[in-house]
Amino acid sequence: MGAAVSRVDSHQPQKRNVSSCRMHCVESLCLIFAVLSISHLYILVFFFPPGSSARGADKKKRISRRMALKQVSSSKSFGGFQKVFEHDSVELKCKMKFAVYLPPKAESAKCPVLYFLSGLTCTEQNFITKSGFQQAASEHGLIVIAPDTSPRGCNIKGEDDSWDFGTGAGFYVDATEDPWKTNYRMYSYVTEELPQLVNANFPVDPQRTSIFGHSMGGHGALICTLKNPGKYKSVSAFAPICNPMLCVWSKKAFGEFLGPDQNKWKAYDATHLVKSYTGSQLDILIDQGKADEFYDQLLPENFIAACTEKKIPVVFRLQELYPVILTRSWDTTLRLQDLSQFA
Amino acid sequence: MEEDAGEEPGLGRCTAPTDFHFYHMDLYDSDSRLQVLPEESTGVRREAVQAERTYEPRGAREGQAHRALHEEADELVHLYGLEDDHELGDEIMDEDTPRLGTAEYPPYGVKRGDPAWEQRDWRLGGEAAEAEDLGFGGWGSRGQCQDLREAYRYTHGRASEEYECYVIPEEEDEEEAADVFCVTCKIPVRAVENLDAHKEHEVTPLNQALESAKDEIHKNMYKLEKQIIDMENFASHLEEVFITVEENFGRQEQNFESHYNEILETLAQKYEEKIQALGQKKKEKLEALYEQLVSCGENLDTCKELMETIEEMCHEEKVDFLKDAVAMADRLGQFLKTKTDVEISAQPDFEEQTLDFSDVEELMGSINSIPAPSAPVINPQAPNSATGSSVRVCWSLYSDDTVESYQLSYRPVGDGSPGKDQAEFTVTVKETYCSVKNLMPNTQYEFWVTAQNRAGSSPSSERAVYMTAPSPPIIKSKEIRSCEEAALICWESGSLNPVDSYTVELTQAEAPQAWGVTESIVGIPTCEALVQLQPRQNYTIYVRALNVGGPSARSEPATVHTTGSYFHLNKDTCHPWLTISEDGFTVMRSERKTPMREPLASNTRFTRCVAVLGNLIPVRGRHYWEVEVDECLDYTIGVAFEEVPRHEDLGANRLSWCLRHTFASSRHKYEFLHNKTSPDTRITVPPRRIGVLLDYANSRLSFFNVDISQHLHSFSCELHRLVHPCFSLEKPGCLKIRNGIPMPKHVTFY
Repeated sequence: MGAAVSRVDSHQPQKRNVSSCRMHCVESLCLIFAVLSISHLYILVFFFPPGSSARGADKKKRISRRMALKQVSSSKSFGGFQKVFEHDSVELKCKMKFAVYLPPKAESAKCPVLYFLSGLTCTEQNFITKSGFQQAASEHGLIVIAPDTSPRGCNIKGEDDSWDFGTGAGFYVDATEDPWKTNYRMYSYVTEELPQLVNANFPVDPQRTSIFGHSMGGHGALICTLKNPGKYKSVSAFAPICNPMLCVWSKKAFGEFLGPDQNKWKAYDATHLVKSYTGSQLDILIDQGKADEFYDQLLPENFIAACTEKKIPVVFRLQELYPVILTRSWDTTLRLQDLSQFA
Repeated sequence: MEEDAGEEPGLGRCTAPTDFHFYHMDLYDSDSRLQVLPEESTGVRREAVQAERTYEPRGAREGQAHRALHEEADELVHLYGLEDDHELGDEIMDEDTPRLGTAEYPPYGVKRGDPAWEQRDWRLGGEAAEAEDLGFGGWGSRGQCQDLREAYRYTHGRASEEYECYVIPEEEDEEEAADVFCVTCKIPVRAVENLDAHKEHEVTPLNQALESAKDEIHKNMYKLEKQIIDMENFASHLEEVFITVEENFGRQEQNFESHYNEILETLAQKYEEKIQALGQKKKEKLEALYEQLVSCGENLDTCKELMETIEEMCHEEKVDFLKDAVAMADRLGQFLKTKTDVEISAQPDFEEQTLDFSDVEELMGSINSIPAPSAPVINPQAPNSATGSSVRVCWSLYSDDTVESYQLSYRPVGDGSPGKDQAEFTVTVKETYCSVKNLMPNTQYEFWVTAQNRAGSSPSSERAVYMTAPSPPIIKSKEIRSCEEAALICWESGSLNPVDSYTVELTQAEAPQAWGVTESIVGIPTCEALVQLQPRQNYTIYVRALNVGGPSARSEPATVHTTGSYFHLNKDTCHPWLTISEDGFTVMRSERKTPMREPLASNTRFTRCVAVLGNLIPVRGRHYWEVEVDECLDYTIGVAFEEVPRHEDLGANRLSWCLRHTFASSRHKYEFLHNKTSPDTRITVPPRRIGVLLDYANSRLSFFNVDISQHLHSFSCELHRLVHPCFSLEKPGCLKIRNGIPMPKHVTFY
């Protein structure tokens, strides 16, 4: 809990500007919560100004009763709320956090939902603190879900040894190898457990679900879409790992998670998946910075070539002046095309 | 109860009940029953006088008895419904009450007072009932009876009761309400007694008979009312007629009088003139005759003198005679030479005087005849009174003129050239208006009118200029441009002379609920109108031309679909190598090298880039169109400002935004060009049908692969001015432009 608080502190300066008072409340709330460990819902009622909180408290109460969702933080953002929840994951067998942005529209109607899968080393916080996507999501009435990138605190040996494997690097696969296969089931988590949780607890329209991601998350978004035709209305990827079987990071991870048999890896490789894709019409958008230092790891050309061959529509945009995918670009990633699918 | 009352001495209570029962049986008279009450009260009074000391118990008993009696009366009243009878008892009570009060028995008074008040209430009710029941008669006699009863009451006691027993039934007989009504005899019949006599007759219940009688009376009343209203109307009508006739005759009299006076005056004047003339003549003649007489006398004198002188001479000496004779002869000769005028200088005869009465006759005649009308007043042209080939001319006349017909003349207003004098036409009409037909459209005509009757014809009116309506304009259907919100309609005037304005009429073609509803845009000065419309509707559009004379007939209809945008290619911008198909929507660059024609001396035509511009409707809304392309074709499509340099490639400047496709060595290259730069974008599925969305509101230009609803690219462009679609072919081939396509749902998000 303390960690969560400090994360909020360090990564959310702009939100403090939006409503510093509210943030202060959240912090104090968390502290009190940590100390007293009594149901935070009622404290929320006390700490939040009456006008805005009464209804929210009701909703929260309902949510908490219905499921094991625990609100970790809630901040007002562009008329809506940026919240973080914690829950006990069945797939991953650990406590997981995920971020939810609820636009103002969600108070009165069911909204389309967009999943964002983060890249290596990230948590649910990176996207919600750095990208500034909330403005666009608020305008377009989108609920945006940002899960964590891996199970945490599973005490598996070697889990925290390197930045590109284990904690913070689940690669959105279901591990088949020991000791990972119990916890590292990120693919099932993001495609099954989390959507069920979200659909049950937030005013989402499950028919209008889309996915996008960055780097490893871009890989995740692509494979989730390719492996589940029709599940996502659109998919976008920002500097995705397009051909993980040939990428040094994922080769290591795939080897650990899936074993040495590379044929098994193909089930999680977008470029391979697209070659055998037979599902419904796709709509793929890929953005790539031209000066990306990891360009040669990402291998978008392989994916483009496969798609061209299979006549799968992709718009691939090579962006000038983006050495690495930085904060500024997040709003581009939340592309309008994703919104269009929700019409 | 009866017994209690019966105890009272000298009241004959034993007979009273029998009486009562008897009468009851006979449906008679509660009155007799009520008579008990006065009897009682007299008894009471007597009792009270006699036994002062025992007044209290007696009083109580008395009160009881009285109340009992009173209740009986009540009952009867209810039974018979003859409330009027209460009056009788009530009066008695009223009399009794004060009497008791003055008899120093206040308890009595109080006790007696209570029922008295009750009875009074009843009586009130009874009176109301009486008022309603008109069938009752014999009221006058009843009053007498009461008097009699009063008189009897004090003197005869019981006898009065007997008396009333006889008198009142007789009275009641008439008052008794009949139970049925015999229709045959038209009389009410008592149910019990006389029914036998009417056994064979048709009877109805009395109420029913009453109702029907009332109905009939009401019906008759209604008829009467109607008649009254009719008569009143007729009377007022007659009054009006009366007044009108009076006025008319008054006017006629006045008219006649003035004519008569005029004639008399004329005659008097004539007389005066004649008399004067005659006098003058008489004077002249007499003067002349007198002068002649005088001169005649003078002559006579001279002759006589001569004669005398000659006679004297004859008596003179010869010598003297001779001397004088010569002189005399000369003198005589001289005298005789002077002609003696013996003619009468003045005609003594009375000259025949012809009296000229023609003017008088005319005047006399004019009493019955009418004057020639004065000049009519021609009205200026009424708006909307003309059509393309006719005008309706109106004029008016002084109200008291009598006119048999009018002659309307007209001729086209010449354009000033003297040699071309236009022919005049004349028509004769009876009315004060005329629709003149077979005229030329949008032309001025001069009209004038004269009125005529048998007395002659009036001077002609002023000349008025009327104008025929214009001929219908001709819509240039091929130049109509439209988008979802508006349409730009162009037309040709159709008339040689200028018209005042145009009206555009539009109806929604496929909206049954709005069928026939026509919206009009009026006062359009030019041959072009931008009309605001509803999206995704079909409209039928007509144009009318207007001048002072009115609107022309509708033009031929044109149809507008506000689905997507609809534009035409601007042939003036077309590069010489490009050809545009018949329908105007296919741009072709043929395989064979077209001999390089010398470009026309125009700066609108593309010279370097083989391109053509479209003419988009000038509306800053959202425009969508599609272009069908061949996968292997090299093409450029997009938008450009009107003034985009004609010698540069599209997309090579800041005035155009384009998607350029090049196909080389089996690779598709897609560039999104503006100012020579393009983002590096790769597209895996080559579009065959490209959607172009131009959105002024969001300053965006977006391209789509229509077949798979894929967004390809969006420009953010600053569109300060209007842009036009542009198309260019870098290799031989053709582009097919698809207009009027509804915006796909997915594009609305860009």
